[in-house]
This record gives sequence, C-alpha cells and structure tokens, in this order.
Amino acid sequence: MTAKTLVQVKDLKKHFKVSSGFLGRDPKYLKAVDGVDLEIKQGETLGLVGESGCGKSTLARTIIRLYQPTSGDINFDGTNISDADEKALKPFRQRMQMIFQDPYASLNGRMTVRDLIAEPLEIAGIGDRNAQTERVDELLEIVGLNKDHANRFAHEFSGGQRQRIGIARAIALNPELVICDEPISALDVSIQAQIVNMLQELQQTLGLTYLFITHDLSMVRHISDRIGVMYLGKIVELADNDALYDSPKHPYTRALLSSIPIADPQERDRQIEEMQGEIPSPIDMPSGCRFRTRCPLATDKCAAEEPDLKEVAKGHFAACHFVEP
Amino acid sequence: MTQSPLLKVRDLTTSFFTSRGEVQAVRGVDFDIHAGEVLGIVGESGSGKSITCMSVLRLLKNNGRTIKGTAHFEGRDLLELSELEMRRLRGNDVAMIFQDPMTSLNPTLTVGEQIIETIIAHKNISRSAARERVVELFELVKIPEAASRLGAYPHEFSGGMRQRVMIAMALSCDPKLLIADEPTTALDVTIQRQILLLLKEIQSRLGMAIILITHDLGVIAEVTDRILVMYGGTAMETANVHHLFDKPMHPYTQGLLASVPNVNNIDGEKLKPIPGSPPDMLRPPKGCPFMPRCDKAMEICVTTGAPEFEIDDAQSHKSRCWLHHPDAPQQKGDAA
Repeated sequence: MTAKTLVQVKDLKKHFKVSSGFLGRDPKYLKAVDGVDLEIKQGETLGLVGESGCGKSTLARTIIRLYQPTSGDINFDGTNISDADEKALKPFRQRMQMIFQDPYASLNGRMTVRDLIAEPLEIAGIGDRNAQTERVDELLEIVGLNKDHANRFAHEFSGGQRQRIGIARAIALNPELVICDEPISALDVSIQAQIVNMLQELQQTLGLTYLFITHDLSMVRHISDRIGVMYLGKIVELADNDALYDSPKHPYTRALLSSIPIADPQERDRQIEEMQGEIPSPIDMPSGCRFRTRCPLATDKCAAEEPDLKEVAKGHFAACHFVEP
Repeated sequence: MTQSPLLKVRDLTTSFFTSRGEVQAVRGVDFDIHAGEVLGIVGESGSGKSITCMSVLRLLKNNGRTIKGTAHFEGRDLLELSELEMRRLRGNDVAMIFQDPMTSLNPTLTVGEQIIETIIAHKNISRSAARERVVELFELVKIPEAASRLGAYPHEFSGGMRQRVMIAMALSCDPKLLIADEPTTALDVTIQRQILLLLKEIQSRLGMAIILITHDLGVIAEVTDRILVMYGGTAMETANVHHLFDKPMHPYTQGLLASVPNVNNIDGEKLKPIPGSPPDMLRPPKGCPFMPRCDKAMEICVTTGAPEFEIDDAQSHKSRCWLHHPDAPQQKGDAA
C-alpha cells in the first residue's frame, strides 16, 4: 500500500494519577497507554482489539486529543498536534470525529434529531440556517433515515436508528478520520450487520479512514484492513488482518484468537490455546514483558527485559522474545 | 426420546402490565428439556428468552404476570405450586446464574458466608459441614486458594472469579437444572472461554441439565446440545445444535446466521443484515412476529402466526413458519 500516512503516533503515553501517596511521595499511576507506535493510512480501517482495560479506548481518545498525552508525538497529516492548545487544535477537530458505543447515552434526549445533527455544523459555524437544514436532510438520507424523523427525539428511536443518528453527527463535517469506539456492541445481532455495512459504504463514498475499536474479534476481521492487538497499554502485535488471523505470532494473540466462540458446532473440538489467569492491574504492572504472567512460554528473560515491537514479516510486527523474523 | 422430560413447558404466556399498556413478552412458548441436556435459548434483546425462564421460576417483577400455560418439572406444574414449595425448589432442584454476578451477590457479606447460608437454608447440615462443602465447591469451580478466599467480599474478586463464585453457589445444593442467563456476556473473551469450559466440565461431571440463555451464536454453538430460537416472544425454531446450524429452516434463523461474520471464513463479502428492527411488544404484529422483516412473507403471515411444523423428527427439528406447510409454494434457492 502506498497510501499516505494520515496519523503517525510515536512512543505515545497516557498515564492517569490514581493516588498521590503519603505527602505526595510515591504517587501511583495507571498506565493506560504506555509507549505506542502506530501509523494509520489514509482510507484504511485499522482495527484495535484487546480485553477491557487494555487501553484501546484511551489510545484512540488521546490520538484525537480528547486527552492530553503524558508524552510522545501525534502527527496528523504532517502536523504535530501532541502539544497543540485548543485554539491550534480547532481546525483539526473537524477532521477527526468519533462514533460512540452507547447510542442511548451519547445523544442528548432534549434535542430533536435535527438539532442533534445540526449541532456540529453550528459549532463549526458552517452555513446559515437554510444551508444547515439542507445539510441535515442530506445527512439523514445518507444514514438511511428520512426527513420525517428530523423533528422527533432520540428516545423515539431503536438502538440501530440511534446509532445512525450518531453516525450522521460524526460525518456532518466531512471528517477524514473517524474513531469508531465499539459502535455495534450495544446493538442486536441482526442490526449490527446493518450498521457495519453502512460504515463500509460511507468509507467508500466519503473516503473515510477508520480506527475501529472492538472486542468482537469476528467483526474486526470482517471490517479491518490491518489490526493492532493491545495488552496492558502496549501494542503487542500488528499486521494485515489475514496475516494476523492466519499466522498470529504473539502468544497473547494466539490465545485471544483461539478463545473466540465460533458459530459452527463442527469446530467444537478444535485445539484451543487456553490462557491461564486474568489481566494484571495496569497500576501494578509486571516487570519486563507485560504478558509474561499469563504466558505459557515465559522465561527469566521475559521478567528482565521488555521485548520491542519488531517487524517479523513484511508489515507484520510482534513484541515477543520468542518470535523470530 | 422415550424418557419424560425434566422440564416440560407448554403454551407459556407472560405479559407485563405497564402504564403504556400490555407488553406481551412471551406468547405461547413450548419447549422440553431432558435430564443431562444442555439447551440453548438464543434470541435478541426483547425476544422473551429471559422472561421465559423467569416465568418458569416465578421470579417476575410485580407488574409481570404469567397469564396461561404450564411448566411441569418432574411432573409437578411449577405454576401451580405454593410460594413455599416454590422457594424450596429454587436453589435446590433448580438454580440460576445471571449476567452480572455483582448485582446477585450481597456486597456486605463475605462470599463464604453467603454460600454457607444458602446451604444451611436448603440442607439439614451443620455449619462446619457446610463450610467444608463450600471449600469443595470453590475447588470444583477452580478458584485458586479456595479455603482462604472464603473470607473475601464480592468486590475483591474479578468479574470472572465472581462468576465462578456464582456458579459455586448455584451448584451448592446439587441442582438438577441450572439456568444460566448470559453468564459470559459481561466477560472478556479469554475469561469467557474459561467459564464456558468450566460449565461444560461441571455439566459432564455432575450430569445436570443446563438452560443457557444467550444472544451469542458462537457461545451457543460451542456448548449446547439443542437450540431454541426465540423472536418476538415466540419459539420460532428448535433442533439439535448441529442440525440447526447445518439446515436452518426458519427465515429468521437463516437471517440471523447470515448476519454474523464467520471468523474462519472471510471471503470479503458483505454481511447480509436482516432489514428493519425487532417488533414492539406493546403492539406486536398480528400474525407472525417476524413477518414485517421477512422477505418470504405471504398473505397468511400477516394475519395468522404459523403453527409448529415437524421438520425432522430424529433431530427434534421443529419450525414455526407457513413455508413448511405441505401446500406452501416452493421457495427458490431454499437449500440454504
């Protein structure tokens, strides 16, 4: 792929202070994102998977500067925005939008659908009242709703329709990058496919770039071009989607993928790499490799040295001492 | 199957009476579960899968009422039992676990205390014997350092461990039937795998029957023997698990299976969603609940819900769709 790089992230960290310790000594930090390198190419869908608490949502929100990074660089279309203030960020805000998981919580119940979708246009100061009305009608049609819906309130709609409203808001300003943070997790199975198909169509027609966060490992393969696997604040593996599923390199990825329940009873007796134990606390992380406490391969070296994310095959990166190129 | 079923539910009909009107949550559901069998009830939110089981156990909230139907457990109709008999049965012969273990555990008592209490309430044994039994159960559900974890409070456990505590509690009186309502939905996929394997292992060791309620077709395919597909308060299709995934007959089941991507079989094709959205049970469709979204709907589907048609007796395959009527027009490409 020769597509240009839209977002480039270098050694990005986001730590949250969780306690100051006695008299400010020995403060404790939750290292939600702890040294991530990542590129997102124009027009691609980059999937981001991992268990709850691995930092995938924090990473996405830090990339679009909803959070101030603790350290590291974020380049958006060639401009470093990691330290930019609100004023400097303003032109970038329109170019980066977000679709949220919960279509019940993310829409203001006191606003009509028209006002909800017009809100981003108003904030950005785009068009007069008439132009905005026209644009809202157009957006409603794009997301498969109609003009009659415009004067109703969000609670009158089903989950799938609400998510359509959320998507209309996100694309209202013609963004380039859209963060999809578990956009289908709260929806019924038969509705999920409707929304996924629509997101794919919008990507085609509007040339969108997606960072798609999910814990649904079947859906992420379906929708992504490349996939990053996160564990305790770091990316442990990154590859094209087929390469990741067909030959996962990192022991965590292998365990994660083989845990996916498969909707085919014939597959029941397949070999499964069961993973022991549970994810450690991101406040009190293991030394060396963060996965070593659950890893079947772990040795003394893993406790002493943290493995780098290195290229093990073309475009396929993994952070494990035992993965050789 | 010659053996009589452990639980036999017929024409179960439950509604909730709300300020907006009557919500017809369950509309004439029939199903059987045999001893030692794992039955999966699959459906989307609002399909009535949980309410069906809550009705059987008579755990409905105040405004919910089972209007008609029977639920025979080992020959006794649970819907006719006195409240006292029912209380004896729950937790003893039939136990239930829920999606979110935190809301089903008492946060002010240690987990050991809660389970010891349950055992003493149901079985005539001493406190120390009950305590030993809890340690045994914790070992059975693989809680590490079982004996020392008895004194811990629910919030000191992770989500996966809490679900293990719930399973231990459910097993404490050797139930013949365990109803598990979305037991792994709140858990991460690696922990989900651990809990599903645990349930399977316990089931084969103790031989109880399990009803597993879930919206996840993957989970259903992994652990059940037989499946009941629910939609709009109605049991649409039931069959042996292999048969159902191989030859789904009801248009809803077919649509549901086609709308999820298969992680092992990615051909870059678009997903095939079911158009529209699930029915509003305040005003359910008059005929088949799936009719408004069904691309094969006929005249009759608008006015009259289909009866249950026998598809394949050996696979206990039944489906509630007019297309299976002997005189129905043949569908093109029905082999799917």
